[in-house]
Amino acid sequence: MGIQDRTDEFHTCVESIRHRSAFPPRGAEVKQRLLQTYEKSRAKSDFSRMAAAIGKDISSTTIKLGKLAQLAKRKTLFDDRPVEISELTFIIKQDIAGINKQIAVLQAYIKQKNTPGSQKSSEGKQLDEHTHNVVMMLQNKLADTSMSFKDVLELRTQNMKEARDRTEKFMHTTSSATNHAPPNPMGDGSLGRTNSKGKGRAPRNDDVLALNHLSAEEGFHTQTRGAFMQMQLAEQQDNYIQSRSTAIESIESTIAELGQIFTQLANMVAEQRETVQRIDADTIDIASNVSGAQRELLKYYAGISSNRWLMLKVFGVLIVFVSHRLCFVDTIY
Amino acid sequence: MKIFSLSILLTTSSGPSTLLSTASDLSSFSFYQRGSVAEFMTFFSRTVVERTQATQRQSVQEGNYTAHVWNRGGPENIAGIIITDHEYPVRPAFSLIAKLLDDFITKVPQSTYTTSAAPSIPFPEIETYLQKYQDPRQADAIMRVQQELDETKIVLHKTIESVLQRGEKLDNLVDRSQALSAQSKMFYKTAKKQNSCCVIM
Repeated sequence: MGIQDRTDEFHTCVESIRHRSAFPPRGAEVKQRLLQTYEKSRAKSDFSRMAAAIGKDISSTTIKLGKLAQLAKRKTLFDDRPVEISELTFIIKQDIAGINKQIAVLQAYIKQKNTPGSQKSSEGKQLDEHTHNVVMMLQNKLADTSMSFKDVLELRTQNMKEARDRTEKFMHTTSSATNHAPPNPMGDGSLGRTNSKGKGRAPRNDDVLALNHLSAEEGFHTQTRGAFMQMQLAEQQDNYIQSRSTAIESIESTIAELGQIFTQLANMVAEQRETVQRIDADTIDIASNVSGAQRELLKYYAGISSNRWLMLKVFGVLIVFVSHRLCFVDTIY
Repeated sequence: MKIFSLSILLTTSSGPSTLLSTASDLSSFSFYQRGSVAEFMTFFSRTVVERTQATQRQSVQEGNYTAHVWNRGGPENIAGIIITDHEYPVRPAFSLIAKLLDDFITKVPQSTYTTSAAPSIPFPEIETYLQKYQDPRQADAIMRVQQELDETKIVLHKTIESVLQRGEKLDNLVDRSQALSAQSKMFYKTAKKQNSCCVIM
């Protein structure tokens, strides 16, 4: 490499890299590369360009994910915007898949760049390490994004379930509070699980035609009523079938709940089994302790009742001793 | 929640309808009203059925009564109508009509009523249907299943509560048995000490 004055090129490249805000620390590394060779700098800028593009995509996806998390966190019952959320989810999924592909392309590019070069110089090794680190960092960022995406989806399903339970509770309390005062003919006795599909099952009166005695006698106002009836026709058909499906769905969910209750019950009884075992062990200990104590007491009693003989012996020895002492004292005096 | 009448009519897309079979339960009306009420029911049924197109379901409210009608159409051109009060749930009403019409079609051959002179066709099942469905919660399959499931759920809730109480009692027992075990151990040790300590005496 001949000594050439490439400062201007170096400056322009630095400027262009500085405008890509994604990886400033990498800029320093790239500067070093640029100092050495122009070729390598071009390859680096290719690589850095691709990596910068991926980084930008990841940051934009993170922003979208933040918006989705915001939407999913809303706990309002009625203002839920499922269309937006599902759209956003779809977009984010596509973005993540695209970024994945881009990272794979980047890796393939690096491999392809390395094999023709096959440089074992220290600089080449640094280059390898650097590219490898960059790819690692991108993959980590992508993995973090996917993890948070998964968390947001879980949060969303949880919230949807809570909202549905609350809707059911809410509908149940209103229907029982009004006590069928507005006639709720769709009351299938399903504990008030009227609907959550927003098809307005409770206001059913729009399906109902009010028949007038007088007009019936004069003949029909067929035209207007015919048109009216046409509009109601489809709705009526739909309503019947949908009410059936709702009723059956509620049965299905009740059965699922029952299943859950059964498993809970089984869990509780299983937990209590351990307690019962402890009680059993304790009781056995108590029995053995008490029987041992009774044994000891019996021994003691037996010892006491037969010990009189020993006491006599002891007293006998004492008396002999004392009397011996007395004799001895007598002999002295 | 009552059904007042249940009828099957033969109806073509134009022209009058003929009453094939009907059953009614007018016990809630006083004796003298029953005649006029029955007439009103038949008139009402025919009018509404005539205004219902084929394969169309309708519900009509009039005064105290609600009529649910399903014009089945098909090759037999029959329609079923049920007149109830306002409280009767709609979906089982329609399933009742559907069941009734299916039964009628299978049991009664078509020839008997396609003749222009329409005698009243013997179909006693209509009476049984009427009586059975006076309580829709028992008769309609879906509602019955739902009701039984709800009862089962209540029973299970009670069971879980009693299991919780059982858990509390078991905890109580555990504590007591532990205390008793400690005391019996002390008892044993004291008794043992009696033996080893005072050997002399």
